[in-house]
Amino acid sequence: MSTTTGSGSLASALEAQRERLLPCVHCGFCLPACPTYNRLGDEADSPRGRLHLMQAVVDGRLDAGSDAFHTHIDRCLGCRACEPVCPSGVEYGTLLELARETATRARPQGKLTRALLAVMGSPALRAVFFLGGRTLRSLGVARLAVRLIPAGARLGGIRLAFAMLASSSPPGRRLQKAPVNAVPSRAIGAVAVADDDSVGPVPRGSRGRVAYLEGCVQRGLFERINQATVRTLEANGYEVVPVAHQGCCGALHAHGGDLRNARRLAGANILVFEGVEIDYVAVNAAGCGAAMKDYGTLFESNQEMSTRAEAFAAKVRDVTELLSQAGPRRGAPVSCSVAYDHPCHLLHAQGVAQEPLDVLRAVPGIDVRLIDRADECCGGAGIYGITHPELGGRIGRDKVAAILREEADHACTPNPGCMMQIGAGLLLEGSSDVAVHPIELLDESYRRAGYYSATGDSQ
Amino acid sequence: MTRPLAPDVVRGLTEIVGAANVITDPDRLLVYESDGLSAYRVSPRAVVLPGTSDEVAAVVTLLHLEGIEIVPRGAGTGLSGGALPTPDGVVVGTARMNRIIEIDPENRLARVQPGVINARLTEATQPYGLFYAPDPSSQSTCTLGGNVAENSGGPHCLKYGVTSRYVTGLTVVLAGGRIVKLGGAGRDSAGGLDLVGLFVGSEGCFGIATEIEVRLLPIAEGVRTLLGIFETMEAAGHAVTEIMGSGLLPAAVEIIDRATIEAVEASIFAAGYPTDAGAALVVEFDGTEAGLDLGADRAEKCCFEAGAREVRRATSEAERAALWKGRKKAFGAMGRIAPDLLVQDATVPRTKLPEVLARIAEIGERYDLKIANVFHAGDGNLHPNILFDRKNAEELDRVERASTEIMHLCVDAGGTITGEHGVGIDKRGYMSLVHNETELEMLRSVRAVFDPDRLFNRGKVLPDPLAET
Amino acid sequence: MTATPESVVHPSSDAEVAEIMIDASREGVGIFPLSSGHRAHPVRGERPYLELSTTRLDGIVEYEPADLTLTARAGTSLATIDEALRAHGQWAPFDPPNVGERSIGGLAAVGDSGPLWMGYGELRNHVLGMTVVTGDGRMLSLGGRVVKNVAGYDLLKPMVGSRGSLAVVTSVCLRVYPEPSVDRVLLLRRDRLSDLVAAAHSVGTAPVMPVSSVLVDRTGVNESPALVIRLHGVEETVGADQASLEGHLGIVFEQAPSATALCTAVRDRGATSNVVLVASALPSALSEVIRALERLEPETIVADTYAARFRVGLSQADPEAVGNARASIERLGGTLRVARFPADGAEVGPTSEPSPAEKDLIIGIEKTFDPMGVLWPARSRR
Ligand SMILES: Cc1cc2nc3c(=O)[nH]c(=O)nc-3n(C[C@H](O)[C@H](O)[C@H](O)COP(=O)(O)OP(=O)(O)OC[C@H]3O[C@@H](n4cnc5c(N)ncnc54)[C@H](O)[C@@H]3O)c2cc1C
Ligand code: SF4
Ligand code: SF4
Repeated sequence: MSTTTGSGSLASALEAQRERLLPCVHCGFCLPACPTYNRLGDEADSPRGRLHLMQAVVDGRLDAGSDAFHTHIDRCLGCRACEPVCPSGVEYGTLLELARETATRARPQGKLTRALLAVMGSPALRAVFFLGGRTLRSLGVARLAVRLIPAGARLGGIRLAFAMLASSSPPGRRLQKAPVNAVPSRAIGAVAVADDDSVGPVPRGSRGRVAYLEGCVQRGLFERINQATVRTLEANGYEVVPVAHQGCCGALHAHGGDLRNARRLAGANILVFEGVEIDYVAVNAAGCGAAMKDYGTLFESNQEMSTRAEAFAAKVRDVTELLSQAGPRRGAPVSCSVAYDHPCHLLHAQGVAQEPLDVLRAVPGIDVRLIDRADECCGGAGIYGITHPELGGRIGRDKVAAILREEADHACTPNPGCMMQIGAGLLLEGSSDVAVHPIELLDESYRRAGYYSATGDSQ
Repeated sequence: MTRPLAPDVVRGLTEIVGAANVITDPDRLLVYESDGLSAYRVSPRAVVLPGTSDEVAAVVTLLHLEGIEIVPRGAGTGLSGGALPTPDGVVVGTARMNRIIEIDPENRLARVQPGVINARLTEATQPYGLFYAPDPSSQSTCTLGGNVAENSGGPHCLKYGVTSRYVTGLTVVLAGGRIVKLGGAGRDSAGGLDLVGLFVGSEGCFGIATEIEVRLLPIAEGVRTLLGIFETMEAAGHAVTEIMGSGLLPAAVEIIDRATIEAVEASIFAAGYPTDAGAALVVEFDGTEAGLDLGADRAEKCCFEAGAREVRRATSEAERAALWKGRKKAFGAMGRIAPDLLVQDATVPRTKLPEVLARIAEIGERYDLKIANVFHAGDGNLHPNILFDRKNAEELDRVERASTEIMHLCVDAGGTITGEHGVGIDKRGYMSLVHNETELEMLRSVRAVFDPDRLFNRGKVLPDPLAET
Repeated sequence: MTATPESVVHPSSDAEVAEIMIDASREGVGIFPLSSGHRAHPVRGERPYLELSTTRLDGIVEYEPADLTLTARAGTSLATIDEALRAHGQWAPFDPPNVGERSIGGLAAVGDSGPLWMGYGELRNHVLGMTVVTGDGRMLSLGGRVVKNVAGYDLLKPMVGSRGSLAVVTSVCLRVYPEPSVDRVLLLRRDRLSDLVAAAHSVGTAPVMPVSSVLVDRTGVNESPALVIRLHGVEETVGADQASLEGHLGIVFEQAPSATALCTAVRDRGATSNVVLVASALPSALSEVIRALERLEPETIVADTYAARFRVGLSQADPEAVGNARASIERLGGTLRVARFPADGAEVGPTSEPSPAEKDLIIGIEKTFDPMGVLWPARSRR
């Protein structure tokens, strides 16, 4: 089975994956899970419809360069909400990447998408891009632009981009000002809150050696989350090992159907991480984590690489998984309420639902409110909001409305991409809040508890 | 190939529902070429997605004037080709009509648009302590409009009864675009005829249901679920007879056979059923907490007396899900082990089950086909699923011949050709096994009362020689 | 104008029924199918007609206890059926008035469920199959003898409750049930019916569903108005259900000493009055409907509180008062119809009708079953 058969046959990438399409029994169980179908009601914008189009391309009944194939494959959020509900276990995410590759070969992507992928794929361009971004952000230009560009105008995409940039600012003092007296935390779901403080200090390194993915967007705009990752992991007994020269994980490229570059980037990172002795690779961005856990599939046509990729993938954990596995240790109270939303690439793609909530539960005084339809995509989906302003906007507004209904102090979600999308949505709705990552809250809680003040493991 | 619609028809439709909700691009239309029964493929001329009863009426009026056939479509999960487009037809989909209009806890009623998903209704009524009883296995995705059209059943219909027991009123759009209200919970149909009951199960051939009023029930206090593992199908069948004869009224009694167990356990959905078992029996009781253990104890005893190797009992929701897993995942698991799957559906008197199953096995052997049975044992509703590969033409032919034999077998045993999936396009040819020409003619005339021009779902349900013209 | 039958015919086979229908079509004679033990309604019209009695279409055709199905010819009395079922610890869970004396064909044609509807569903849900002979003598087999059957449009539904207006029923296949081991009847008595409405209402919203809940002006056994609740199950569940209901209602029920006698009395109460009206509405309109019906000064009043079906027995009907009651009940979204016409054929008053659009469809269906209009006497009194 080969997925790199050159550009001779347009359907080649998909064709080679015929086996992956076959399990789809056309039952339609995936329809109600799909945010695009739920809003548009057109089956071509449903998982089953998209798979049907892929099958038609493979069968030679549909041109991979057709409008229909291009539009509907492009309109998919890649949120993978359709996967856990599928009784046949269709690997939609993998198929989507292949379909995108097929579609882009037949008909190149929009300039914007290509430009962004090029930036992410090159360290130098990336550095310049994010430096510019941070500068605009710190000068307040982003926030200003959001106010100046009229809503609903042709420049809506740019307005959103600025809003996303603005919303990557740290919650900063707002969080630090949260009261310290503990109020009882509301039970989340059916699981009662464990109130005992059983997890005490743990010697550093006792839980294993961890490297973490610095990530492009994270390093570019969310350095604070990377720092929180290191501190909270260390406070929970992990030894964090630095890994120099790491690059982009290739997730955006894979999702965009640029599998060649995705493999190039993934291969480079596997090599770099193989150079250090570690038990885990921690990731604080759900999209990256999902892609990295799936490296085995990315390289499945390459015997040698796929073994290495699988070995690497087996070590990948979301940072909340590692923390949860360690307890996590309880910190000092940070009294606030958060409206929590599941990131798709954590919930659907990695099946991680409980761990981020475990992290929040380790912070006394937090009132966690699971928002309505927390399992649905926020519309961020990488750069979806920018490439599909209308539909992305609708999905985003529904999400923001659900968050605002909770009347919580902060929106909270463990993925930088979603934080930006939600933050941008809040900003556009006139709210001054930004979204926070659960480990930022845990980090603040540990800071208050004084876990970071002493040298060594903890107080 | 299908003929495109005339531009002025497209314009007319667009004026009613908006451009985004009229689909005419042949490439896009490909996704509508099948419903849950993907063995058949016909592309429609267009798809229209109205949002209200009035829009449906306007669309129907326009299409009727043009003499263009209409195929109503819900979620397209039907397994008899009911929502399969007709070559000259336009599909009218209810996906956008997905609003729950009213929940009336005092009268235990709900009013919904037809595109509301079955499980969403139960979700929405849960806060009132109520639920909607008919639970087709597809309930997480199928629509109430589709359920009404097919008179759908489900595992728990053994105790609760099928869709028609719960539908109290309908608003329907008939040919010519007439909007007609039928019945209503407060109204007694004995002054006229039970038109609601007649419309339920009409497979989209009478018109389009645009509003549905249903009865809700209070959620049972508790549930007990048992899984019995048996060496042989006979033993499992015996246990069912014992349980049903013991005066117990279980909510569900489901069996999966050895072939199905093997399929499930060989797939990524392994449910932990022993693969050398002859059959697995799921029995569920719901109701007042105080009686549940008693029922479960008695059923367990019945199982052991019938020779069960093992009986597992669930006490938590998670355990319950685990016991059901093999049954619920059966369909998907089969999709994993064979390229194609023909989901059959027939009912026989329950006492005939053992005999019929033995004969089905024999048919499978004779045609060299793998047939895996999953069935609602409590009410004799069989799903013999035939695994095959459609690219193998010779095998396809054997599948068809085996299917026909199974249908004859079930009818000869005093049963019928479909228990819950409907006739659609797939079972049309078998209708003459259960109805003589007089009866078929009667069915045609009754349909003509609602739809004299055979506008809706032409050629479905009835083996109509004129249908193709 | 009231016509009288020329005579009564007693066919003994489906073929004979068909012959009669064909002859009647040819001769232009009307046919009024009658079930045994049920009073013929006076027929409106002047044309000649024959009564067709199904008493000779008698006997159980097939009963397979393990399948929980029973097929009997139309004239078979429910008492006979009941006896056969009880011998196997089974029963048919419907309780319309005077059920024992009625024939299964007649009952299915009338479609009366009785209050056990609450626990077991309506009669139409228990009828799995029928053989019928249409107005022009076609013999049809509808449904079958399996519980789940969707092979073709469901013609059984309009047949059940059609009161002989579409076809003559010649046999019926029923779904039957295992007898419950405990049948507990609970009683709440008050001086006035209106004092019971609130309790009846609460039963309708309780987490536990009894198998029936009936308000009755007098039980015949007890002289005061009562709410009669029936619970089925095993000792443990019935006890728990009673406790749960009592908790929900905040009252304590009496346990009826002789359950069977009480249930029979409630079931039959007022059913043989000279005029019987049946009203239906939504349960939320319980008290308003009772008020509207009380204005008719009925001899008896019985209300199935779940289905919100009300039966009132009158010694005679005042058409104007009936018209007013109908108007009030229809305003509440309900209907009022006649279940038993006065023996002398006197006018009862205007009752509820299907909507014009429904009527069009009904007429269409009647024409398909009875193209020659032979069954007009039945239609005149549906
Ligand atoms: C995995 C799986 C399991 C299933 N399990 C069960 C089961 O347990 N029990 C069961 O009974 N069925 C089952 N089914 C079959 C199917 O789900 C049901 O028949 C369901 O009711 C179809 O609903 P739908 O919304 O998908 O309708 P569709 O498939 O879209 O349409 C079904 C029929 O209804 C008509 N129709 C749709 N909407 C309307 C409307 N508003 N007005 C008039 N006609 C309309 C269509 O024309 C068509 O004839 C299963 C299917 C699958 C794939
Ligand atoms: S749920 Fe899975 S098998 Fe069913 S249609 Fe969707 S992808 Fe196909
Ligand atoms: S990935 Fe998300 S948007 Fe795409 S088909 Fe699946 S559910 Fe729909």
